[in-house]
Amino acid sequence: MSQSLAEKFYFYMKLGRELELRAKEEYMKGNIGGFLHLDIGQEAVSVGAVLGFGKGDLFCPYREHVLALARGMDPKLIMAELFGKVTGVSKGKGGSMHLYEPKLDFYGGNAIVGAHLSHAVGAAYARKLMGEKAGVLAIFGDGATNGGSFFEAINLAVVWKVPVLFLCENNFYAIGTRIDRVSAFRDTYMKAKDYMPYLQVDGMDVFQVYEAVQEAKKHIENYGSPFYIEALTYRYEGHSMADKGDYRSPKEIETYKKKDPIENLKAKAIKMGWLTENWIRTTDEAIERVIEEAVQFAISSSEPDLDELYKDIYCGVCSDVVS
Amino acid sequence: MDYEVIMPQFSDTMERGKIVKWLKKEGDYVEKGETIAEIEAEKAVMDLQSFRKGLLKKVLVKEGEEVPVKTPIALIELTEERPPKAEKGELKPQVKPKKEEKVEVKPVERISLPPGMASPYAKVIASQYGFDIEELQKEGRLPSPAHERDMKNFLTERYFTKKALEVLKDYEIDLQKVTDYFKGEKVNEDMLLEYIEEFDIPKRVPISSVQKSLISNLTKSIQNPSFRIYEELDLSLIPWDKDITLTHWLVKIVGDAMLYFERLRAEVKEDHYLITPNSNVGVATAVGDELYAPVIKKVNKKELAQIAKEVRELKERAEGGRLTLEDLKGGSLTISNMGMYGISSFDALIPYGQVCIVSVGALDEQRKAKFTFTFDHRAVNGTHGALFVKYLKEKVLDKRYIRSLRRTG
Amino acid sequence: MLYRDAINLALDHAMESDGRVVILGEDVGFYGGNYKVTDGLYSKYSERRVIDTPIAENSIVGTAIGMAMCGLRPVAEIMTANFSMLAMDQIVNNMAKLRYMSGGKIALPLVVRMPQGVGKQLAAQHSQSLEHMFASIPGLYVFCSSDSTSAYYTTLYAIKLDDPVILLEHVLLYPMDFEFREVKNFNPFNARVLREGEDVTIISYLKMTQDVLKACEWLERDGISCEVIDLLSLRPIDFEAIYSSVRKTKRLVLVYEAPKSLGFGAEVSARVSEELFYFLDAPPLRVAGEEVPIPYNRKLELASIPTPEKIYKQIREWGERHGL
Repeated sequence: MSQSLAEKFYFYMKLGRELELRAKEEYMKGNIGGFLHLDIGQEAVSVGAVLGFGKGDLFCPYREHVLALARGMDPKLIMAELFGKVTGVSKGKGGSMHLYEPKLDFYGGNAIVGAHLSHAVGAAYARKLMGEKAGVLAIFGDGATNGGSFFEAINLAVVWKVPVLFLCENNFYAIGTRIDRVSAFRDTYMKAKDYMPYLQVDGMDVFQVYEAVQEAKKHIENYGSPFYIEALTYRYEGHSMADKGDYRSPKEIETYKKKDPIENLKAKAIKMGWLTENWIRTTDEAIERVIEEAVQFAISSSEPDLDELYKDIYCGVCSDVVS
Repeated sequence: MDYEVIMPQFSDTMERGKIVKWLKKEGDYVEKGETIAEIEAEKAVMDLQSFRKGLLKKVLVKEGEEVPVKTPIALIELTEERPPKAEKGELKPQVKPKKEEKVEVKPVERISLPPGMASPYAKVIASQYGFDIEELQKEGRLPSPAHERDMKNFLTERYFTKKALEVLKDYEIDLQKVTDYFKGEKVNEDMLLEYIEEFDIPKRVPISSVQKSLISNLTKSIQNPSFRIYEELDLSLIPWDKDITLTHWLVKIVGDAMLYFERLRAEVKEDHYLITPNSNVGVATAVGDELYAPVIKKVNKKELAQIAKEVRELKERAEGGRLTLEDLKGGSLTISNMGMYGISSFDALIPYGQVCIVSVGALDEQRKAKFTFTFDHRAVNGTHGALFVKYLKEKVLDKRYIRSLRRTG
Repeated sequence: MLYRDAINLALDHAMESDGRVVILGEDVGFYGGNYKVTDGLYSKYSERRVIDTPIAENSIVGTAIGMAMCGLRPVAEIMTANFSMLAMDQIVNNMAKLRYMSGGKIALPLVVRMPQGVGKQLAAQHSQSLEHMFASIPGLYVFCSSDSTSAYYTTLYAIKLDDPVILLEHVLLYPMDFEFREVKNFNPFNARVLREGEDVTIISYLKMTQDVLKACEWLERDGISCEVIDLLSLRPIDFEAIYSSVRKTKRLVLVYEAPKSLGFGAEVSARVSEELFYFLDAPPLRVAGEEVPIPYNRKLELASIPTPEKIYKQIREWGERHGL
């Protein structure tokens, strides 16, 4: 594990956490509205998966701020989107749950649980048909694995033999319902293991996630067929801002906070000599500036014009005259 | 610097929140992430954590009070120092009153329809002609319910001839007054026209779509800066006739000249010019009440006879209403010749998107004509314009050049 | 040319001229399509471009969306509109909204084809007309066609359009034979005036247009001059064409096969009332399906939907009441 990799991990995880803490604050000030789902506690999965996967299309659920950051999306554009400003990555029409940037092969941001899994399979089919090799990464929560679209998607991925990496962030709760109360298995890989090869990793350890995803990426590209990874993780916050998260005992939350992925990484990296206290301090300060800039950008950006209401519904372009 | 703690909005539906309990009091030092108060909203009690560290300077909303979200509820002095004692502040909620937005209702002209049992359209007819449907139905002169057909039958039978009704469509006339004027006599076309003349009633003539776009383009065009050069050109050498008219000659000569002045072939865009390699010349053409300026493309490459043929064809197409957008596009200069009306000199507006219009007056005894060149100053400056006019002035007197055109023509 | 062959031809032409066009759906490939619309394409373009799927409608549309996001131009077939209910999440929540939610960054050149309507004794789960559901969703285009010419051109246009389109067909039109006419600069957003008239404007689409044309011959014999407008798009509806016809005739009749309430008829008559109230010489008339699930028994089945006879009768009775 190289020093530069540890630096990258730290930068994106810390950037993600600080951005979300600031988003939480701005939400409470009323600058951000609607649903805001925070990734705090799960950063190792998001960052490890995106960096480990490298090139290829990304299909995410609605808890996607950190995934977007790790893919290289500008924090300014994310913050402006959360503020609903016209300068946001989706012109203020998507909000927290709908960040899209095809230039980064980043396809959202889907707020229907499990709906994007079939998109990922279709995308992989398209890429394959056009002779491209890079696979597709589909990320979803444990809640999605109980729905029909999950089983339809893994079935089709096997039947069509397409390179999709299914990555489940298992944080044990579908909103407020613990996994064992609604799922036949506590381990979600049990539902995929007869379809495709799988791995289960500790999602609080960014190194583990990164290595597993790299290995899976090699597999899907070499064999052109799907792979399943389950990362066990934990979200500190409620499901969204409206959720207090008090269906979990304080003890349970404390236990996971002790395994905090960022603190974890920091301790390990300092011990191994990859990171120094000094570098961390400088980086933290830099991140603080980046976040402040992003917020100032969002505040100073303008609201969309009223005529934006009617734009982007259709492109209205017919590629050819039909006659 | 002080940081305003506001009543947080925990969810998108939350509008107000109540302070259940302050867990910190004024003067306490607050860490980032530390819970400072309990807040009740939408039947749930939630912890309010501080986003900043510093001194809790002032509590603005008392326990038990409920305020709208975003109301400041406390002040935190952003400081690293932890003083032993804090000053006391007054408890005073600051609720900013919300501005009420006023919704304006636009007044519209109301149609007043007569009473009686009839379809909406039948009532509109009745109101135009000023009849009382209910009264007529009582008298048995209209069926109930009445429809368009019944109204028209009634009108033609009783008050107006069919032709008079046709004429009425183009005027805004109070029909009650007409029938009163003729004392209930059935009104025919001639009587109606007499009435219209007597009371000087204006005829409503709709503006055609061509005319509308002309109006809009002229309005846009006049906003661009322009300047004029007035010059007399000696046209005595030009041997025009019925087939190849003076206009055709001028299109050719001006088109050839444009080739040496690229700004005359320009279209002005926001931060660049679009300059065509050929000269494309518009010819102002009046058809009926409407004005068109179809464009002859690549004038520099065409012979006189060809130009004459194309101008005629375009004119015919304009008369038949068959001009396409393609016919009207692409020109940078237009020629408007009113010499045939005996006008000695005039000035014209540059067609929108072009950079010049050449207005040609009538010839005098020496076969000289007064030209007005109107240039778009954004593309053509004074020197460009002057050189272009000077060049033209010489060209029309260049015997070899004119002869060469004539030969090929 | 048969209606089904016209669609087949449009698909063939689209696939031939553009390698990005793929077809997917249940039984569309090896089997040739349940209504034989995709017959022959599998052998011509291979299983890579004519893709058989499991019976999983949500994923048929879902994967088609993924394909469209990443460079293909998929044409998904749902065996009948009745089964599209299983794909409503993908159609309504994804297909219709991805472009908007992404601020215009995602384009979805995607077509979802499906036949609908009453066939012959297919019973309640195979006979519905569900256009109102799709046409009420902003973000979708909903096209339909009433003969071979319009079927060919709407299909081709939908595939070439860079937006998501629901393409409705009618099960009873598939085996019908129509004369094919070439059209220049075809545009489905413009309604077609199939017959010009003075007294009444009749608007319909899909198979009902054929029934209306039949009824009009009887109405003309009675001296009622009918203007027939055939809609090729239900979202958006060409209201301008409707308004300009109603301004002329002052009377409006709407004929459709779906249950009368809360649908096409309500929408168009409301719009016409809003825009042209003072032009109306009679209240708009809706000739539409009964408010029942479609029964199996043939006699009951026919009683549940408009027929040429019913269209004629209802227009005459309405005309009597309202001065026609």
